[in-house]
Amino acid sequence: MDQLLEVKNLSTFFETEEGTVKAVNDVSFNINRGETIGIVGESGSGKSVTALSIMRLVQEPPGKIKHGEINYFSKGQNPVDLLKLTEDQIRKYRGNAIGMIFQEPMTSLNPVFRCGNQVLEAVELHMDLSKEQSKQRVIDLFAKVQLPDPERIYRSYPHELSGGQKQRVMIAMAMSCNPDLLIADEPTTALDVTVQKSIIELMDALKKETGTAVMFITHDLGVISEIADRVIVMYKGKIVEQGPLKAIFENPQHPYTKSLLACRPPLDYRLRKLPIVSDFMAISKDENGELLLTEKDQNAQELIDKFKITEKETTERYEKLIHQEPLLKVDSLKTWFPATKNFFGKPLTYVKAVDDISFEVYPGETLGLVGESGCGKTTLGRTILRLTQAQSGKVWYKGQNLLTLSDKEMRALRKEIQIIFQDPYSSLNPRITIGNAIKEPMTVHGILNSDQERKAKVNDLLNTVGLSDSHYDRYPHEFSGGQRQRVCIARALALNPSFIICDESVSALDVSVQAQVLNLLIDLREKFNLTYIFISHDLSVVKFMSDRMIVMNKGKIEEMGKTDDIYNSPSKSYTQKLIDAIPK
Amino acid sequence: MASSNISLGMIAFLLRKLFYGFFVLVLVIILISSVIYLAPVDPARLTFGQRSDAKTVEAKREKLGLDQPLYVQLGSYLNDLSPLSKIKIADEQELPYEYLSLLTFSESKMVLKWPYLRESFQTGRSVSAVLREAIPKTIILAFSAIGIAMLIGIPLGVMASLKPNSLFDNSAVVLSVIGFSVPSYVSAMILALVFGYLLHDYTGLETQGAIFDLDDLGDERYFWKNLILPAIALGIRPVAIITQLTRSAMLDVLSQDFIRTAKAKGLSKFKVVFKHALRNAMNPVTTAISGWFASLLAGAFFVENVFRFNGLGQLTVNAMLTYDIPVVLGAVLFTASIFVLINILVDVLYAYLDPRVTVS
Repeated sequence: MDQLLEVKNLSTFFETEEGTVKAVNDVSFNINRGETIGIVGESGSGKSVTALSIMRLVQEPPGKIKHGEINYFSKGQNPVDLLKLTEDQIRKYRGNAIGMIFQEPMTSLNPVFRCGNQVLEAVELHMDLSKEQSKQRVIDLFAKVQLPDPERIYRSYPHELSGGQKQRVMIAMAMSCNPDLLIADEPTTALDVTVQKSIIELMDALKKETGTAVMFITHDLGVISEIADRVIVMYKGKIVEQGPLKAIFENPQHPYTKSLLACRPPLDYRLRKLPIVSDFMAISKDENGELLLTEKDQNAQELIDKFKITEKETTERYEKLIHQEPLLKVDSLKTWFPATKNFFGKPLTYVKAVDDISFEVYPGETLGLVGESGCGKTTLGRTILRLTQAQSGKVWYKGQNLLTLSDKEMRALRKEIQIIFQDPYSSLNPRITIGNAIKEPMTVHGILNSDQERKAKVNDLLNTVGLSDSHYDRYPHEFSGGQRQRVCIARALALNPSFIICDESVSALDVSVQAQVLNLLIDLREKFNLTYIFISHDLSVVKFMSDRMIVMNKGKIEEMGKTDDIYNSPSKSYTQKLIDAIPK
Repeated sequence: MASSNISLGMIAFLLRKLFYGFFVLVLVIILISSVIYLAPVDPARLTFGQRSDAKTVEAKREKLGLDQPLYVQLGSYLNDLSPLSKIKIADEQELPYEYLSLLTFSESKMVLKWPYLRESFQTGRSVSAVLREAIPKTIILAFSAIGIAMLIGIPLGVMASLKPNSLFDNSAVVLSVIGFSVPSYVSAMILALVFGYLLHDYTGLETQGAIFDLDDLGDERYFWKNLILPAIALGIRPVAIITQLTRSAMLDVLSQDFIRTAKAKGLSKFKVVFKHALRNAMNPVTTAISGWFASLLAGAFFVENVFRFNGLGQLTVNAMLTYDIPVVLGAVLFTASIFVLINILVDVLYAYLDPRVTVS
């Protein structure tokens, strides 16, 4: 094999107030020309920092590449250690020999420059072409990444494109100077599954055509299986396992790899709960503060068999649920947003985000709401809660029409209907301790008699969601994404709601953390007899969670029914498209 | 198709803003007139001083229309101001302005004319002429001050943001806090004292003086060096605020993902900072600059007064002190128009700086 990059004993540390964080700790691996290597791990595993270290883009301070070598093998030349180059020298590699794509296509392009110019910049910098040739090259690249109407995209600003299109522009930029290596750092995580699928197909095709080696970083083993030749599994800054794709998938050695493989919501059968990392290994610290991973004697298949729900159980539960009086009844609900207005501000045309939707939710069930971004599912959830104004229609909850209640009556009802948002980072106030954040709604609604009682209840809730009393006085930034989502769940539970809308509540989480939060939601549903509307773009998650589901498209219901029925025999091509997009 | 939509939206936007601006101006006139009307002072008496006889004052009051109720005074002022107005044929000979007759009725005429701002109670000169003398000085001073502020503040803020918490950054922050805390008349007096008086032999600058004046032969003469000290005195506070805002906006932008993308392209640090980051950081800075600029155009009384600059600020305050109502109204109208125009300009500028902003 023709070696391209050799990473040898790379260590990158971050100096923080809490001490040194060994983000990348003595990592070694090789990348050969033309191969795709997948790097898998959860947030904080050091996979992105490894990539940034190769590009020498680690923010310094607080980060610093402590030691190691990154040898780059140009064709017919001696290897160069990228870490020994000056800033001016490494710039010749960036964007030229090594291209990079980032996770957030929404924020990775400069909003004030046209897409064409942003790619043109890289071409002009590294390639010896005339102005016209450079421009033509960019337009050709846009065509190559299958952007519609490349000339128009060339002139467009990033905000005029969809997320998937922006990521295609990023790919065009990264590929613009025929790099030997393309580093893709979670390139599809922020995208819908359907868009994810098309981006992965595109990257695969480009790789085959150009012979570029790809370093594909992701938290999702499912995605890796679609594209990688070889897989590296990272955990807390270290490589725990690496090998060919097939070996990793069929015969994983490390318990962490096993848990990553097992924690994805399954498609062919139903589980009571998902296997999680702690089912496979125990994490402790030795006397030096180094992490100690101990494997538990756990066979993944046995665990899955233990969690399986039979079809009979599913049907019984379903029958029981739908023969009740509905808890919530949505009747031809419409939410329209003004799109264009005339001179005096009167709307002329509308965006029909929710267009004539009717459905029922039964007590104790989970109703899944699935569709691509922009299909109106979030607006629907917000309209039910009156966070967004409805155009017309009715929302019956326990015999009352929520849309016609006075603000005061609605406030009283709000404690019964709660919402958990997508982004656990922005839905908590950074200046309020999490204990107070959970307590606040109780104080507002006058739940319990004294502050002591409320505090006790908060501690109770923290324990319920898998945190502890000691977290009460801590601030949100001290928590990981998964922990924050637990705080948000505890806050929603504080008011003893009977009905919770989960709006993409696990979309921002790693697959391994997602499994934990989904398990928690299911436990809570049984424990407090909750009813959920579970909104997500990911059909596999919705399938795991819900009894019935609604497939939404362009503000309307495509399909509605029992989850397994829809999954097994979709009647609409749109549903089929969503199913096909799930990485297998 | 897209571009024609944008320009149509732009025109509609401008029309609507001008429409609102018109109402703002009318409201300003009503407000100022009412306040002056309600004040327990008699402008007619003030024009003659203490020892005038009652009859003369009464005659003057009548001539100026000050004996009329507020709404009549207001109506007649607005009529004078409006380009399209009604005049009495009987008064035709006395009118101090030229006009174009449009329609003639039995006793009155509909005419087209330039807005007429009346005459100063104090000097009897036309308010337009008085303003025309003061405004250019103030405009030049405002441009110079804000120019100095931008030329120093933006690079200083950028440099500070590149090495946060370094000695340079901390000094820049401390200096800008001090700069912002010192009132402009204090810095004006210090500057005048040090550079106009103590160091006069070296600098050749004066403690007082306007940038143009009439010499003994009645010719206009320019004294550009008289601009230096007032412009610096007025520029100090905006320098401070622009430095601070540029710094914090840049710090924010430099941590954005697209900066990492720009670096990953292999761009030089200079290009990353000045091409990719700075333009994104300009929005809050633009807001601050335009606000300061507008208020500088209203005239900076204290600084103008210290340097005897004879600009709009000095004119306005002096007119207030003598209840020279037409001059006050004229100056305030000009200032209000400037604010309206700059606000519109800034909205358009936002759209230019950030293509995500659409004016509509």
